[in-house]
Amino acid sequence: MELQQLIAEGTLQPFKGDRIDDAEAVGVPLLVRASGSATIDVATRQRVHLVVLHDTAAASSIELRLGEGCSVDVTDVYTAECYAAMNVVQAEASCYRMVAVLLAGAHADYATQLNGAHAESDMYGVFVAVEREHAMVSVNTRHNVADCRSSSLVKGVAAGRATGEFRGMVYVAQDAQRTDAAQLNRNVELGAAHITSMPQLEIYADDVKCSHGTTVGRLDEEAIYYMQQRGISRREAERLQIEGFVCDVVSRCEVESLGTMLAESLNEKLQKL
Amino acid sequence: MLEIKDLHASVEGKEILRGINLSVKAGEVHAIMGPNGSGKSTLASVLAGNAKFTVTGGEVLFEGENLLDKPIEERARKGLFLGFQYPVEIPGVTMANFMKVAVNERRKAQGEEPLSAAEFLKLMREKSKIVELDAKLTSRAVNEGFSGGEKKKNEIFQMAMLEPKLAILDETDSGLDIDALRIVATGVTRLHTEQNATVVITHYQRLLDYIVPDYVHVLYHGRIIYSGDKSLALKLEKEGYDWLINDYKE
Repeated sequence: MELQQLIAEGTLQPFKGDRIDDAEAVGVPLLVRASGSATIDVATRQRVHLVVLHDTAAASSIELRLGEGCSVDVTDVYTAECYAAMNVVQAEASCYRMVAVLLAGAHADYATQLNGAHAESDMYGVFVAVEREHAMVSVNTRHNVADCRSSSLVKGVAAGRATGEFRGMVYVAQDAQRTDAAQLNRNVELGAAHITSMPQLEIYADDVKCSHGTTVGRLDEEAIYYMQQRGISRREAERLQIEGFVCDVVSRCEVESLGTMLAESLNEKLQKL
Repeated sequence: MLEIKDLHASVEGKEILRGINLSVKAGEVHAIMGPNGSGKSTLASVLAGNAKFTVTGGEVLFEGENLLDKPIEERARKGLFLGFQYPVEIPGVTMANFMKVAVNERRKAQGEEPLSAAEFLKLMREKSKIVELDAKLTSRAVNEGFSGGEKKKNEIFQMAMLEPKLAILDETDSGLDIDALRIVATGVTRLHTEQNATVVITHYQRLLDYIVPDYVHVLYHGRIIYSGDKSLALKLEKEGYDWLINDYKE
């Protein structure tokens, strides 16, 4: 990932602090290099965009605290195999939105605490594991109070001898009435690859709207045949189909040039299938 | 262009094609008719190379070369096009991207440079007019959410983009209303030249009002039991297949 280029162009602004207030949130996305543990407090009503990059094997843990009414967009990018935890704590009416892209066999652990009414969390993630990689995404969303909304969509692709894993948990506390939570996990296995999906719901409130779904499947042979009949090789047809499968996650990245870069990196990786 | 000799094929051990003989030359239009289950779609699938079917005998020459030992995509790049009875939806893959890859893979096979983005867009605009395909559809995922008519128009649009030598259209008229039928059929006619050939598989005479065939063949029970000119289609429309089938059984 040539993120240096985005920094040079001024598209991204390196950030090492522990608090984002009005002065930092100048409209330019902030780049955080993940390593060790860090806590970042968000205390501005301006919309904040954070790009978190995991490009070394160092384990990392970030706690992100969203103050009342704060709105944060995170693009979480993995280019190295590593373990990382992202703990998000949300106050009333805060809004969290994340797009995670695992370009390496990493272990990404997401935990979100919805602690204030009308807090919202939307998470989108994608992993592509090839060769002997192991990719793992865990999404743990905890509705601790009433009237919050959360959604997550994680898409996984594993090829060759790679393995993938999804663990999902939606927890709804007894007082968290009128919770609206949706969790979806879709996976595609190629060759001898294997993906495990473990979605869970734990609901103690009675007036809630919760849904979860998971699929693990192969590529659509009919679609491959159709593409081959138009002169496209099987390999290319598979690549196109997977590109189509993951694109609705990557296309949600709000930093346009970064989104394009991520799509290109994913396509490069798909060439290795 | 196409020589089918004593072609036998089966699916899951059941023989569907039981000795097909057919010769198609450049500039010709052939119609293949016949009752349900006679093997029409199987013939189209076997020629395209669909792995569901096993060829158990006979041979097929396309432009003088053995067709049956070639993979699906190579047959396509050599100029064989199949218009699908049920076009397949491919979520997340836009029509434009799909066609760009298809056109450029074919060009590569022919030793030509890939088209530039501008050339490609121009080509797409030009060809979509042939079947009055809404330009917006090219930015949508392949066949996803397309109406029945749009899907069939889209098949002919792809045919126009790929300029095949031989187009096999498998029930391209099924599920079309009168206007869509006219547009699709007129499109096919406009794409017909003295250098290419078309095989239309159909149940109905109405398609052949637009696409006038040089030959009409009746396929029954895995064999072509009767061939004639375009008047045969009219006779079949009026009298059905029984007279032929009874003859065949005797």
